[in-house]
Amino acid sequence: MKRRRATLTKKLIMTAAAVLILVLAGVYAFRHEESQAEKIAAPAAAAVDSSACIGSKEYMRANHMRVLNEWRHSSVRDGNRVHVAPDGRKIEKSLNTCLNCHSSNRMFCFNCHMYANVKPNCWNCHISPMEAP
Amino acid sequence: MKKILMPLVMVAVLALIPFIGVQYAGLSYLFGVIVPYLAALLFVAGFLYRMVDWLKRPLPFNITSTCGQQKTLDWIHHDKIESPTKPWHAAVRVLSEVLLFRSLFRNNKAEVRKGPDITFASSKWLWMGGLVFHWSLLIIVLRHARFFFVMVPGFADYLDQADSFLDVTLPAFYVTDALALSAITFLFVRRVMDAKLRIISLPTDYFPLFLLGGIVAAGVVMRYIAKVDVMPVKDQMLRLMSFSFEAPGEIGALFYVHLFLVCVLLLYFPFSKLMHMGAIFLSPTRTMLNNTREKRHVNPWNAPVKFRTYAEYENEYREKMKKAKLPVEKE
Repeated sequence: MKRRRATLTKKLIMTAAAVLILVLAGVYAFRHEESQAEKIAAPAAAAVDSSACIGSKEYMRANHMRVLNEWRHSSVRDGNRVHVAPDGRKIEKSLNTCLNCHSSNRMFCFNCHMYANVKPNCWNCHISPMEAP
Repeated sequence: MKKILMPLVMVAVLALIPFIGVQYAGLSYLFGVIVPYLAALLFVAGFLYRMVDWLKRPLPFNITSTCGQQKTLDWIHHDKIESPTKPWHAAVRVLSEVLLFRSLFRNNKAEVRKGPDITFASSKWLWMGGLVFHWSLLIIVLRHARFFFVMVPGFADYLDQADSFLDVTLPAFYVTDALALSAITFLFVRRVMDAKLRIISLPTDYFPLFLLGGIVAAGVVMRYIAKVDVMPVKDQMLRLMSFSFEAPGEIGALFYVHLFLVCVLLLYFPFSKLMHMGAIFLSPTRTMLNNTREKRHVNPWNAPVKFRTYAEYENEYREKMKKAKLPVEKE
């Protein structure tokens, strides 16, 4: 009985080690891919027209996260960095486009996000207006 | 078929009421303030009424249900959880029932397969579906704390992060949303597929399922598809929490559908099967101790019985018994 248990622990340790190696390999593989993706050159930016927001106040309040998500997908994956507003204006798909107008208030994003306890992962990569000099 | 369709139509109508009321009649004050207060009041009052009512009922017999060895001689193993003799052990039994659905784990299924004999087999599907369903709903409810408190309690924050750990879609996809919807679907399909279950199922079994399905679906649609501005929603919830009667701001009608269905659930709760939430803590088969060998369980409503012992009887008739040559214990 004791011996059987010993072999069982041995097997468990072996399995755990195998899983650990697989996980590490996976992490390494993903790292590798990410660093390659970074090398793709950023396409030329379109002219920034920030005379007006791309949508109505009501629309932006409820849907800004979808706009940003859509921008992220199309600019990073398809390299399409130009957003065409319904009125025909061409706008660069960038957080800076938003912050060009909305940076006067450092808490522009955070006021509501803290109130609603929503923690988006924008600032994992981008510099947040709170951290900007 | 009617007993499935009726509750479905009822939930659909109930969902349409606030939609039409808010969208076309501008009744946001009614559905955003008055109905939630009424529902909360009736829920608390009804829940307390039912619990107090049950607590007042006497327990004529010790009907603890056991499937383990009762406490007996020292050298016979005593199954403490299945056959508790101490309140602490009974509490563990109740909690294992509440948190893990212990008795559902023992669920059996009887089937006639080949041949005339009936086959019994363990069937864990109900246990698993029920567990997923209840735990998902609990986590979803606790997660909603972010709408009810200015400073969100730490556990809600933690649950929120754990629930959205997949980190896909935007807003972040909650695992419990999918789990709750699939569990509701499973529990419904389970009732419909099995002929035996279909026969014993009642409209009151389907209605809560459809109602909860409607609530979850409205919430899911509001979060991922037809967006609603969260700010006035939180404003309104904070007002409700501080018992304010201010009118709500501009909120999409879908939010009122979600809120109204929750109110219907709260109203329906104390007067329906859903009271099993409170009743499980009072169910005698789980809470009573199996200590009938140690303690005499007396029916509290027993009328006082006047006993007459044999000694008293003999005292009265001793002389007559001696004359009749009947044996007496005392000379």
